[in-house]
Amino acid sequence: MKVLDRTSILKEINEASFAVVDLTLYLDTHPTDKDALNMFSNCMEKRKKAMKKYETQFEPLVVDCVDPAENNVSNSFTNYSGETHWTWSDGPLPWDPFGSD
Amino acid sequence: MWNYEKRLMYPIKITKTCPKTAQYIITQYGGPDGELSASMRYLSQRYSMPCKKVGGLLTDIGTEELAHMEMICAIVYQLTKNLSVEEAKTAGFDAYYIDHTSAIWPQSAGGVPFTALEFQSKGDAITDLTEDLAAEQKARTTYDNILRFVTDPDVRDPIRFLRAREVVHFQRFGEALEKTKENLDAKNFYYFNREFDKKISSI
Repeated sequence: MKVLDRTSILKEINEASFAVVDLTLYLDTHPTDKDALNMFSNCMEKRKKAMKKYETQFEPLVVDCVDPAENNVSNSFTNYSGETHWTWSDGPLPWDPFGSD
Repeated sequence: MWNYEKRLMYPIKITKTCPKTAQYIITQYGGPDGELSASMRYLSQRYSMPCKKVGGLLTDIGTEELAHMEMICAIVYQLTKNLSVEEAKTAGFDAYYIDHTSAIWPQSAGGVPFTALEFQSKGDAITDLTEDLAAEQKARTTYDNILRFVTDPDVRDPIRFLRAREVVHFQRFGEALEKTKENLDAKNFYYFNREFDKKISSI
């Protein structure tokens, strides 16, 4: 299986999620703007797909996506490689991207 | 309620230790126009907002400010995590080091601890939204001042992102203020305080 790159999927998530945040604020004050509503659903779809890709390859980013059987197939940033475990604590801490296990 | 998402809103990867820059940046955590103050301002004001839409906007912007606060703290953390004792003696950062080592604590660039006195929650929609517009501009000015001093591109890049968000929030609060005015007495927006003078508002 092709090992997907952590940084590049995270970039996809960051970009789609940023658009979601920005469109959320815009739609709060322009709730019937059709173009913005369409853009919102496109960006949300991209975000969900990228999140799914990331949590399968690496750790889940939201607790709703914790699934010890499906998460982190690359066994990246974990002390429990090959063992069923709490995948929420896998991965680096967001403020410490150079951090170790 | 809130849920945590385990990533920064915008990536921060700083390799060069610089306590002096950390001393400037920390003001956007605990300083007068910082992100903590911004978040607490909006999340406090939203309860008494008479217009439901504006309460929703304050929730969403207040939530984004929490993500900005996390970015600011990450910048300060990364600028000081590999600090040597000699570097800790940098003028301006030395006093902070004595009290907090290289931990993150909310204070201004001048060393004043975070205080709720830096923001208002007044219970009057016009008053509160006008404060919010000013707050976004004050934060933008602070980011401009930081950008005049800081040269490291790894620091400038996320700071420029945060600066741009202040401009967007200012725009959204401007729209919220206009929306609120539509629901008040068009001849005199200041005639009554709809949150408190509920009976008078029907006159």
